[in-house]
Amino acid sequence: MHLLKDLVNFLADPRIYFVLAVGMLGVLVWQRNRLASGRVGYGLMAFLTVFFLFGSFDRNFRLIVTKPDNVPIVGLIFVLLFFTWYAMAEAVKNDQRLEVGKPPIEKEEENRVWVWPDLVYTELIALVLCSVILIVWSIFLKAPLEQPANRAATPNPSKAPWYFLGLQEMLVYFDPWLAGVVLPGLIIVGLMAIPYIDMNPKGNGYYTFKERKAEITIFLFGFAVLWVSLIVLGTFLRGPNWNFFGPFEYWDIHKLLPLTNVNLSEYFWVRMLGRGLPTNWAVREFPGILVMIVYLGVLPAVLARGWFKAYYEKMGAARYHVGVFLFLMMMLLPVKMLTRWLFNLKYIVAIHEYFFNI
Amino acid sequence: MADRKPVGHAYNIDFLNVVFAASSLVLFLSVIWMVWDDYDRQWKNYQRAFGQLETAVTQASLQQASSSIDRKKLARLEAERGDARRSLVANRERVRALQGELGTLEANLYRITQDYQFAKANFDAVKYDFEAVRVKDPRAAERVADSIRRQEESVLRLNLQMEEVTATRDRKAAELGKYTGRVVDIDKQFAELTAERDRIRKRLQSLAPSLIKTFVRDAPLLDFMAPTIKIQQVITPNIVDDVNFTRVPKMDRCMTCHLAIDKAGYEKYPQPFRTHPNLNLYIGSGSPHPLEQIGCTVCHEGMGQSVSFRDAAHTPINEKQREAWVHKYEWEEPHLWDYPMLPAGMTEASCAKCHKNTVFIPGATKLNTAYAMFERGGCYACHKTRGFEGLRKPGPNLTKIDSKLAPEWVKTWIRSPRAMKPSTWMPQIWYLSNSSAPADAKRNEVEIDAIVAYLYTNSDKHEFAVASPPQGSARNGKTLVESVGCLGCHVENEGRAQAGSRRTFGQPLQNVGNKTSYVWLFNWVRDPKHYSPGTYMPDLRLTDQEAADVASHLMTLKGPAGEGRKANFTQQDAESVLMDYLTAVMPYASAKAELAKLDAGARKLEIGKRAVSRYGCFSCHEIKGFENTQPIGTELTEEGSKLVSRLDFAFVDIPHEKLAWFETKLHDPRVFDRGRELRPLERLRMPNFGLSDEEVKLFVTAIMSFQRDIQPAAALQQGSERVDAMTAGRNLVRRRNCVACHVIEGDGGDYGNLVAEPTLAPPLLTPEGAKVQHDWLYAFLRAPITIRPWLQVRMPTFGLDDPQVNQVIKYFGAVSGTMTPFRSHEAVRASSDLSGTGKQLFDLLRCQQCHVLGEIPKDQPTANLAPDLRMAPDRLQADWILEWLKNPARIQPGTRMPAFWPDYPKSYYAQFNSSAEMQIRAVRDHLLTLRGGPSPRRTPGAPAAIASPN
Repeated sequence: MHLLKDLVNFLADPRIYFVLAVGMLGVLVWQRNRLASGRVGYGLMAFLTVFFLFGSFDRNFRLIVTKPDNVPIVGLIFVLLFFTWYAMAEAVKNDQRLEVGKPPIEKEEENRVWVWPDLVYTELIALVLCSVILIVWSIFLKAPLEQPANRAATPNPSKAPWYFLGLQEMLVYFDPWLAGVVLPGLIIVGLMAIPYIDMNPKGNGYYTFKERKAEITIFLFGFAVLWVSLIVLGTFLRGPNWNFFGPFEYWDIHKLLPLTNVNLSEYFWVRMLGRGLPTNWAVREFPGILVMIVYLGVLPAVLARGWFKAYYEKMGAARYHVGVFLFLMMMLLPVKMLTRWLFNLKYIVAIHEYFFNI
Repeated sequence: MADRKPVGHAYNIDFLNVVFAASSLVLFLSVIWMVWDDYDRQWKNYQRAFGQLETAVTQASLQQASSSIDRKKLARLEAERGDARRSLVANRERVRALQGELGTLEANLYRITQDYQFAKANFDAVKYDFEAVRVKDPRAAERVADSIRRQEESVLRLNLQMEEVTATRDRKAAELGKYTGRVVDIDKQFAELTAERDRIRKRLQSLAPSLIKTFVRDAPLLDFMAPTIKIQQVITPNIVDDVNFTRVPKMDRCMTCHLAIDKAGYEKYPQPFRTHPNLNLYIGSGSPHPLEQIGCTVCHEGMGQSVSFRDAAHTPINEKQREAWVHKYEWEEPHLWDYPMLPAGMTEASCAKCHKNTVFIPGATKLNTAYAMFERGGCYACHKTRGFEGLRKPGPNLTKIDSKLAPEWVKTWIRSPRAMKPSTWMPQIWYLSNSSAPADAKRNEVEIDAIVAYLYTNSDKHEFAVASPPQGSARNGKTLVESVGCLGCHVENEGRAQAGSRRTFGQPLQNVGNKTSYVWLFNWVRDPKHYSPGTYMPDLRLTDQEAADVASHLMTLKGPAGEGRKANFTQQDAESVLMDYLTAVMPYASAKAELAKLDAGARKLEIGKRAVSRYGCFSCHEIKGFENTQPIGTELTEEGSKLVSRLDFAFVDIPHEKLAWFETKLHDPRVFDRGRELRPLERLRMPNFGLSDEEVKLFVTAIMSFQRDIQPAAALQQGSERVDAMTAGRNLVRRRNCVACHVIEGDGGDYGNLVAEPTLAPPLLTPEGAKVQHDWLYAFLRAPITIRPWLQVRMPTFGLDDPQVNQVIKYFGAVSGTMTPFRSHEAVRASSDLSGTGKQLFDLLRCQQCHVLGEIPKDQPTANLAPDLRMAPDRLQADWILEWLKNPARIQPGTRMPAFWPDYPKSYYAQFNSSAEMQIRAVRDHLLTLRGGPSPRRTPGAPAAIASPN
């Protein structure tokens, strides 16, 4: 049992956790035909249920899972996995139909709209059941009056509301103005831009994967991996001092993690060239700035001729560049994570004179 | 799903109907559950249960009230009422006519009064309009002036009418009263007689369950409108909660469940329905801490707003209760409130929130003891604490250690003090839980050796006043030690807990024979200030022979040899210890260089100096080279308010609660190093006092009383000269340990337990301020004289300076309410008539049988003897003598002085027409004619004597 718990604790390390999440997404896409069966879906739910049930015998696990603030996130895990699986399963069915020339299930009776009684009735039932859930929830999980806020003794860990925990996780890798202002801003702008960038008319009103491979994969990566799984990580695995704790680990406030991260400029000047950091920030940060220019300026052009050539041709220059820019900004997070884990890289550009760090 | 759908519908509607019905049913049930959950709240159930209990208790008190009504008087009143009613019947016609007229008149009066009031209201309104117009346009006002005047007249006319009708009504009513007045009177008497019963009966009626109450007002779901079961609370404007960004009046809702907390009569019922155990002091409306002003949580702590057992942050007193609560109330470690309730028995800690800067709060026995222990342990020396600043160093002066102790003895002593003197307050510094590993022994020994070397190198030469003292008799010495008063401050064999804080004020005498030399002991008891000018050890004015006897006896007090050296160390070991100390404050190379500069002896001294500094020896002891060094401990001024998140629990598995942390820390001050990997100088260094569970509880009480100052001035005791004098005096008599021998304000007097008879103990000093003349007291405190020569125990010379002596005098004045030092009483002439009769009475009452008058009465047991009355004019306050003679036991309970006038103001004796008042005056006046008694003043009777202490 201990071995199992240690294994889970080990797997929950942010690095492995993130890699696993990406891996799971890959497997889901790759092996979707096999995973689409009901047996897999319900098996997955059963596995999760068993995990949480048996996990609850552990004091630390129980503490963190039953904390009233965290209970919705437990629900989130089930719901997210279920619907991802469900959508994929439906998509696989439709893809198989499309292959043999049949229309998707949803298009079979295109001339009908299922409003009354189907939609309205089910909505009513959903409303009733949601009310039941909320009432029972409020009976079981009280919201007690807590002690007065104290600026001299803030909660440790201080956590953002659950829906912002993904952003808070980004703070580990980026400056507040990037993680808190620029990237969230780009998320909103990017979401608004999607209808203008995504020209693919297929998959409209029915489940499919084959017809929208890239779109769905990018979406799942951005939403399920970067957004939701980071929320889960922030909720259950970040403890005092924002240190990482496995789900079966005691939240010891004294736990220490070494802080050994280094800026790119130091790698370049100090470690590579063996000399001191230049005093002029422009010179000092030149390598980092160059990297960023290459990443955001040169890379799209290179990709347009290489891997993304087909897209470039299909979308046209404007759409292509906006889309790739947004994609690259999204990928900045995993890139930064990887460089942090692999090279202890703190900042690519670190102009602390102007509070500008990337 | 899509494959199975029937034509026309996405879902099976019949199935949806079933789902809908089922989910609606579930919703209905969950709503009922929700309503029930609210109805079933803990505090509501308590109130329902209390309703029944209150009815039962009120019924019992109704029975008692009924049975205590005077039956005879009731019967008499009833008979009288019958008579009165009969006479009323006789005049039936007239009464009825009068009642009829009166009715008409009342109606008339009502109508006229209303007319008048309306007319007046109209007139006032019009008058305002008129005034407002006149200011703007006087001519326009002229036009309406007449109508205004007419209105005013009509108002006056109505007023006259009203007065007339009132007069007529009163006349008629008086006439009717002639017939009915008797009945009304008797009814009133009736009501008075049964008032208490009727009041309780009414209360009982309001308590009685009713359909409306049960099924409407308190019914589930309806109980939001006007329930009888509701939250009870008090808001205290002058007592505040600090919510960090502001301070808000406390809102305590404890009485929502503790419903009988302010009602007498529920003492024997279980919580939460028990009456407060001390209603006279707390909560009661007549008490100094009434509920409406003080509330609950300022003393008890906890979350006052909460009405659930768990969230109110109750704190169990022990493990058993903790388990019971977890089981019964789903109790858990309080984490919703920063200041959980103090466990029962520790509440006194909160007294200090308002009663500040004092080590004695009347009634707060635990806290007073806790403070005494805190001072005895010398905690304030290392830990700066508000209210304990500027006190003496609690340990002996070490600047002349060379002449007192042998180095080997000192090493053994500091290695483990309690191994040599089990009752000592000197704590153990080495070989504790974080320094007992075999590898630490060498380091310990290096440090012990070095510290002793440092002390001896920095010791001054001391010249004994008597270099070759006479030989004494240990047997006489033993008697002396046991009788002159040494045992007031020193214990010989008793344990620390058993002897208490006052009797461990001085060093325990255990093992003193092994400690020092005969010559040192002789000189010390002969004149302590000669060796240590700052010592609190007073001078008992022993003769040289007595001092020799005492010293001889003390030399016979031997005990265990203590713990010997536990490891041998080499020069290398010492070197590495010194390197640890040096590298802590300088780079390695400099440390090496520093080390190279020193020879072996100097290295040892360097280690010694740094170890003294590290362990804070200088905090308690005067040590040369550390005169101005700051103490080493954490400041404790606000330790009681510290948040639990500020405490380091490390790897010690205890509940994460403040009290648990303090208790664990005090039991083993180094415990939080357990399991940690620390370099020697990083380890905790608080020494271990070997505290018992009981002592730990007291120390924790003291710590919890050190709170952040948040209560506003309006909450505190109002300052005055008297209050200041009380506070300063209370502290002084404790810090000089006067209370070890004397009872003052009902506290202290431990020495009384060591003598055979209470009358042989040092006197009670509570009434001292009213009793003796202030200038006599001044002279006495500077140079005490013997007042009761038959007592073995002596008042020592404390060597207080003038401010201190004045503080004592002011304090006694404040206690007795006689703050002014110079007070007039009517002149007492020595040869007045009164004093002549006084002499007669003096002889008649045989005062001389017990009181000394020049010589000690022979035939009396010593317990009966009383002071020389010739001192009276010089010593006693004239007014006090009167009070004393009137009723001695009231001033001093248990005194052997008889009350000669138990029937005051009557008297057994014939003088002055048996007027006790005059007789007492006469005796007093006679006393004041006496002369020739001993006096502490240089010239007896002279005002404000200046006496030299020696």
